[in-house]
Amino acid sequence: MPIGYYFAISALLFATGLTGVLLRRNVIVLFMCVELMLNAVNLTFAAAARQWGGADGQVFVFFVIVVAAAEVVVGLALIVNVFFRRGTLDVDAPSLLRR
Amino acid sequence: MGLLATLAEGAATSSAEAVLFWVFATIALGSAVAVVALRNVVHAALMLVVNLLSIAALYLGLQSSFLSIVQVIVYAGAIVVLFLFVIMLLGIDRDDLLGTRTPLRAVVAVVAGVALAGAFLTVVGADSLTAASACGELATEGSADAVACAGLDDVSDDSVGFVGMQLFTRWTFAFEASALLLVVATLGALVLGRRRDPALEEELEPSGPVPTEDDLADARQLIGTDADDLATADVRPEQDATATLDGAADRDLSDTAEDRPAGTTFDVADPGDTGRDA
Repeated sequence: MPIGYYFAISALLFATGLTGVLLRRNVIVLFMCVELMLNAVNLTFAAAARQWGGADGQVFVFFVIVVAAAEVVVGLALIVNVFFRRGTLDVDAPSLLRR
Repeated sequence: MGLLATLAEGAATSSAEAVLFWVFATIALGSAVAVVALRNVVHAALMLVVNLLSIAALYLGLQSSFLSIVQVIVYAGAIVVLFLFVIMLLGIDRDDLLGTRTPLRAVVAVVAGVALAGAFLTVVGADSLTAASACGELATEGSADAVACAGLDDVSDDSVGFVGMQLFTRWTFAFEASALLLVVATLGALVLGRRRDPALEEELEPSGPVPTEDDLADARQLIGTDADDLATADVRPEQDATATLDGAADRDLSDTAEDRPAGTTFDVADPGDTGRDA
């Protein structure tokens, strides 16, 4: 497969994830859409690594996965805290700084 | 590992990779749209699993069996499980929290997404879809001398070994830093995940009111114990063994909250505390 196909599918996946971030209000679904975008970027890395033969792309994907895992752990803990304090998962609800 | 290597080997042939790509790219796109569109959060999480697994299959087609394994283990096995755990912990798989934004903003979001996709696809360009790729296409043709690209055959032969070699030589520092990051994230999650009871915090507040006898009775009822239980409770070694719970009944109520070390819970069931007071 020419690498362009992988880039195209990555672009579509990324755009889908971005649409979800803009569209949804539930913060957990927002998080999932961020994961979608991260995976799209990972696919680009892997395709490029395959195309040009280096291992760096694969190593970067590995690190992205590590960082995503850390991000999800902390983010979900924050979400749980916000839910217990506010009783909602609406991303527009925590607006204390705006008042 | 051997099975995956065999699968990757089979996927190296051009037609097999094409089939793999089209099948799993379709599944990935469809499940991604489902993650965005489904109103039930649990369903969205399950669709995310499907998406991640299909991307793992795409990695396999890219001769990256190591990434494929990591994707399945870390993403589908850990991250999405964490998502599902939080969803079920909070009990928010109902529809009332899952609405989208106002119609206007929804339209704007979709338009922005389509515009971004169009921009990306323009950058990718039609040329890269038709032109034979520099290394990949030659490599998948199977001619050994065509694999001129540095390291490509290594990657194809042993993805795990090759990535591991790079990881522990060239990227050692980043690897260690990621370990540190994971530790910090774990500690952060621990700190954030501590459940604080606002009522209990009020009681613990040093400037708060001194607990009355009624409060103590309430607390005893709350923890489901009484004086008899306290008498048989485990006592500290330095505790005088003859101390009875008579002391607990007429314990010194002038003992204010300031005397307790900060952060300790107000625990009337602590036999050591009662014994000291008596």
